[in-house]
Amino acid sequence: MLVEEYLLTHYWLPLFLLPLGLGMAIATERARRLTGAVLLILISVAIISYPERLDSSLEGWSLHLLLSMIGPIAALLFGIWFALFSGPIPVSPMPRGLRPFGFALMILSAAWFYWMLFETRPAVDGFSNPWWQHMVSSLLTSMIIIAGFGAAFVLVMGDERNKEAVIMSIISLSSFLLLIYLLAEGTTSDDPVFWRSSSWGALGDLGGMLFGGGWAIALFVTFVWFGEKRMGVPEDVEPLTKDESDRVREILKENMEEIA
Amino acid sequence: MNSEGDALRDWRTLSLVVLALVVLIFIANIHLEIRGEVEDVEILSRFSHSAIISFIMVNGALFLVTLAISHKHAKLIEQALGTLLATIAGMLLFGLFVDSGITVTGVATDVWSQFAIGGIRIIIAIFAIFLSFTASFGLLLTLVTGREPPPDPLLELESISFDTEEE
Repeated sequence: MLVEEYLLTHYWLPLFLLPLGLGMAIATERARRLTGAVLLILISVAIISYPERLDSSLEGWSLHLLLSMIGPIAALLFGIWFALFSGPIPVSPMPRGLRPFGFALMILSAAWFYWMLFETRPAVDGFSNPWWQHMVSSLLTSMIIIAGFGAAFVLVMGDERNKEAVIMSIISLSSFLLLIYLLAEGTTSDDPVFWRSSSWGALGDLGGMLFGGGWAIALFVTFVWFGEKRMGVPEDVEPLTKDESDRVREILKENMEEIA
Repeated sequence: MNSEGDALRDWRTLSLVVLALVVLIFIANIHLEIRGEVEDVEILSRFSHSAIISFIMVNGALFLVTLAISHKHAKLIEQALGTLLATIAGMLLFGLFVDSGITVTGVATDVWSQFAIGGIRIIIAIFAIFLSFTASFGLLLTLVTGREPPPDPLLELESISFDTEEE
């Protein structure tokens, strides 16, 4: 099957070039950093100028999903930003009064997500986004594990962090209960059968990602190790020449005299 | 201060917590599948496709990042050549899988269609992981930095006297 040209130029090619742009943007040379920034802007422009309707392909539906989530994500990020920098930290502090507003934005983000989940599944002209269930299943599964890990981490590594551990445990547990509810009862738009299938599929995908990605990273470490091993031991440094020795002696003498 | 043995024990505890949560999620899925109807999602095909596509994506990304940061003093030939060859090997393996009939349903059985749907699934899963990571650790960071530090006893000292009342 031949892939459509617009999908190549406005989806797959920008995604392919993304690591190159990010790598160049963090390089040490100024010219390369500038090229990286220009490349990242071009990648953004190519994706934003997607020429077809978003419901015309699976690639388009994935962009629609990201667009649908902009509201809750923006509320979450602004909430974290306000709550974090209005706390008792010495770095770029904001007014203390903003902290409750930051937490309120985080709660709004969660409420917005629940509202999308139970009332308004992302859709275009009445057709539901086919990636929604996969995203929600992956999100809840990873949230259970990451928040659970966070709770155990602060409890084991932290100093009297019981309150933080309890809050992270509540997030992990509530994600688990929500996943169970979806598997058992479903939502108004989707039967639980589809949620169960989606959850199994997400588990297969996440497990495969862990396995394949882990192997790729292990292989990369091996390549770096080979490179380091092949470089060999650095050569011995040549002893100082007579001129160099005289210069060193001269500098030492000047400084010793100043101290004396 | 923690000794090396303590750190090992702590990380083992954390690993056990993660493992327990993964087992819990599997138990929840199996239990509810027994209770109710479920579509055949071909979890092994999904796992194998996801593993190979992730392998290709990670190696491809590392190859491009290696190219982006390379310069004349860096000796990166092993990692550049290695990641490129690993990417190509992954592609060949994926093609072999699809030609052998190990495909996922819901899309045409040619190699590109199978790769595209697997790739989009992985991109969405990565998006979900980033989102849950940002939400969990963003909130945790906010809570951890929210504790008021105890007052510094040095600030109570007079500038002309360095003796404390306790002395």
